[in-house]
Amino acid sequence: MPGIHIKNISKTYIDGAGNPVDAIKEINLDIKDGEFVSIVGPSGCGKSTLLEIVAGLQKQTAGEVYIDDKKVTGPSRDIGVVFQDAALFPWKTIKKNILYGMEISKAPKEEQEEKLKSYLELMNLTGFADKYPSQLSGGMRQRAGIARTLIMNPKVTLMDEPFSAVDHLTRCTLQEELVRIHEKEKKTVLFVTHDINEAVFLSDRVILLSPRPSVIQNEYVIKTKHPRSRSDDYLVHVAAKIVADISRGAENVESEYMI
Amino acid sequence: MKAKKKKITLINILQIITVAAILIYMQVAVKSGAISKIFLAAPTDIVSEGVKIISNGTLLPHFLISVEEILVGYGIAAFVGISLGIIWTLFPKTEEFGNVFCAAIMAIPKVAILPLLILWFGIGFTSKVVLIFLFSVFTILYNTVTGAKQCKDSYLKVASVFEASRFQTVFTVVIPSALPSIFNGLRLAAATAFTGVVFSEMQSAKAGVGYLLSEAQGLLNTSRVFFLIILITVMSVIFVKLISLIEYSVCHKWRRI
Repeated sequence: MPGIHIKNISKTYIDGAGNPVDAIKEINLDIKDGEFVSIVGPSGCGKSTLLEIVAGLQKQTAGEVYIDDKKVTGPSRDIGVVFQDAALFPWKTIKKNILYGMEISKAPKEEQEEKLKSYLELMNLTGFADKYPSQLSGGMRQRAGIARTLIMNPKVTLMDEPFSAVDHLTRCTLQEELVRIHEKEKKTVLFVTHDINEAVFLSDRVILLSPRPSVIQNEYVIKTKHPRSRSDDYLVHVAAKIVADISRGAENVESEYMI
Repeated sequence: MKAKKKKITLINILQIITVAAILIYMQVAVKSGAISKIFLAAPTDIVSEGVKIISNGTLLPHFLISVEEILVGYGIAAFVGISLGIIWTLFPKTEEFGNVFCAAIMAIPKVAILPLLILWFGIGFTSKVVLIFLFSVFTILYNTVTGAKQCKDSYLKVASVFEASRFQTVFTVVIPSALPSIFNGLRLAAATAFTGVVFSEMQSAKAGVGYLLSEAQGLLNTSRVFFLIILITVMSVIFVKLISLIEYSVCHKWRRI
């Protein structure tokens, strides 16, 4: 069974005072091959922590993650990660940044050049290969960050609030490009965002996490075909429902504190 | 390196006037006899003394000796400091082992070691090189290590998701990101290297600019003292600028300097 399989994942931190804090509690989630799943939730709910556990960058306290039946024990080239601020290396050109993974894995030069060309085209970065990240706009930097991940042809792609640092219009364009790429490559994507409209616009399924300790509060399957319209009645309705559910979750937390 | 045209502002004009006023004061005060020649030198005397020791060949051998001591001592310090910093970063156990020794040696005021260095290496070239090395190496080492430790977490995560080995991570991510800090260390050390060379030459030497300086003081040749102080300052500034120039040529493409 391909895809991402999250089984009973829990994460407990030890806080400053030495007390254990449950960040994530027994999360179970199966993401099918080629499915685009977004995780939303109030800030501090452990979305990014869950993503880093799936990426192998953080160790879970309990539970297991499988990619294609293979247990995740640490970072792997099968799992591509796109970071929040693109995290490009400022001392490398866009070309060198995009090729970073291939250079680390010592891929043949011809293959690198060939793939670079097609990914520069895919991400609309042709002509910017020899520029440095500081010479590019935020949106272009993030496109380069996505190219750096996709060029390695990972089995699954994890994206941690990739568009949160760019302005609204650029974000909309990047979302449309992401949809176009996903339609073309049909890769499994786990997408973390705090932008509910973004999640609804992009995803086949949206997972809502509750505040700490995070559990899956609800999930929303969105069958609307791409290309989607942002003003589509159904999408607007789902987004409103998620917002309502989040505030209900917040109320629950408040009442818990009241007791 | 392209020189950028700068506009001369009112502040610049005021600065020039201030400098000119000080020079004129020195000139008038010394020439009129209000201040003795032993305590201050007239700018014209400083210039003519400078021209004299340059043209009669007094300065050049001493100048070359000092430059040589600096280049060798500082060069070794830069190589050892950066290499050791990289080794510490690659193998944290070596830092755990070596840090306490380096911290201990660094804590000794370097000038206090000079008598020992003279005993061991004589009053010639070697003791100067060793002192300059000791003056510079720790600044370079600790700036390298600190720079490496300040590497952004997100960069390390990127290296990690591409399964970069420890060596690959250090050489492709940690060192490049530490470059600004390494160059800072090199610049700071360049200035202290000059303190080292001048001090050791003034204490006990057969040659060097510092030797000339203490000799001029002994002869009450204050004009020469002034000239040599200016010379040493200019050399020091040029040396620091040279480091900045190297940094610029390495990093200017991706970083505003």
